[in-house]
Amino acid sequence: MLYQRFHHANFVVKLFQAVNLLLTIRIGFIATIFCFIGLYAQAQQVKVVKFGELQKLRTSNTDTLYVVNFWATWCGPCIKELPYFEAVNKQYRNQPVRVVLVSMDAVQDLKKVKAFMQKRKLASDVWLLNETDANSWIDSLEPKWSGAIPATMLFNNRRKQYHFVEKELKESELQALVKRFKP
Amino acid sequence: MKNPILPLLCMFCLFLLGCDEGTATNAEAETIAGDAGYQVGDTATDFKLKNVDGKMVSMADYKDAKGFIVTFTCNTCPFSKAYEDRIIALHKKYAPKGYPVVAINPNDVKESRKDSYEHMQERAKEKNFPFPYLHDETQEIAKAYGATRTPHLYIVQKQQDGQFKVAYIGAIDDNSRDAQEVQKKYAETALGELLANKPVSQASTKAIGCTIKWRES
Repeated sequence: MLYQRFHHANFVVKLFQAVNLLLTIRIGFIATIFCFIGLYAQAQQVKVVKFGELQKLRTSNTDTLYVVNFWATWCGPCIKELPYFEAVNKQYRNQPVRVVLVSMDAVQDLKKVKAFMQKRKLASDVWLLNETDANSWIDSLEPKWSGAIPATMLFNNRRKQYHFVEKELKESELQALVKRFKP
Repeated sequence: MKNPILPLLCMFCLFLLGCDEGTATNAEAETIAGDAGYQVGDTATDFKLKNVDGKMVSMADYKDAKGFIVTFTCNTCPFSKAYEDRIIALHKKYAPKGYPVVAINPNDVKESRKDSYEHMQERAKEKNFPFPYLHDETQEIAKAYGATRTPHLYIVQKQQDGQFKVAYIGAIDDNSRDAQEVQKKYAETALGELLANKPVSQASTKAIGCTIKWRES
C-alpha cells in the first residue's frame, strides 16, 4: 500500500517534471520566436517595389524631407557615398527627415543586395526597384536624369521643395543640402 | 453634336495644371554634363582619338559610312560588360549597311585604374572587338556629346555636306541584365528607320548606367 502510494507520488512528480520540461521548452520556443521577431524588426529588410511605389513616395504630401538616393551594389561611386546617407539617417533620426536608398540592382540579385545591406549594417530604408526598362519610368520621375548613378533627389512636397543631383556627392555637399531643406 | 467649348475648356484646364506644376515644384537639378550635350538633331563634332592599335581614328576616315553608332563605354562598368556582345553584334549587323560602331572610353584613369589605355588594349583583344575602341583621354568628346553614363549611344547620320547629325541618343535595348529577355531593341529600331529613310520614331531613350568617371577638377 505504502509502496503503491510512493509509486504513485513518484509518478506524479515525474508527470509534473515532464509537463514542466514541456512548458520550459515551449517558453523557450516562444522566447526564441520573439527574439527573431525583434531581430527581424531591427535588421532592415530590402523592400522590392515597382515604379508606382516610388512615384507614390515622390508625390507624398507630408512635411518630411525625403532624401532618395539611387545606387547599386555594382556601382563604385555609389558605395563610396552610402555612408554619408547613413550618417544623415542617424543624425536626423528624430526629425522629419527620411532617407530611402533605392537600389538599381536587378531583382535577380536581391540576395546580393540583402547580403550587402547586412554586411554594411545599413539602417536606412532600402528599396529595390524591380523594373527592367528604365526608359519606361525615368522621364516620369525626373526628365533631367540621364540614368547615370549615383543620383539623389531631395524633396518636401508640403513645402514645395525639390532638388535633384546626378553625380557623386561629397559628405559636405549632402550635409549642406539636408541642412538647407530640413523642415 | 460638336461642342467647340469643350476642347478649349480642356486646354484651359491643362494650362492651369501646367502653371501649377511650374510654381509648385520649385524644381532644381544639378547634372554634370546633361544640359551641355547634344540633343537629337544637333550636329555632332568629329574627333581624333587613339585606337587600341595605336592609330588615330576620326569619323571622316570612313569615306563610305552613312553614319556611326558612337558608343561611350568602358572596361569596368558591369552594364558595359553586359552589353559588349550586343555591341559586337550591332556592329556586325550594321557596319555592312553603313553604320559601324565606334566605341569610346571616356573614363578618367586616375578615377578608374582599369580603364587605362593598356587595359583597353587587353579588353579589346580578349573580346576581339571588330570596331575601334578609342581612348577619350581628355574627356572632351564625352563632354561635347553630353555623355553621362556607360554605355551611352549616339547614332549619327552623315549629311550631304559631310556633317554628322545626331539621330538617336540613348540605350541599346530595354534589358541590360538579360539579352534573352529584351522586348524593345531601341537602337536597332532607330537604325532600321534611318536605313529606310524614315524619321526615327523614338529618338531618345533612357537607361540606368554607370556614371562616367570624370577627372577631379
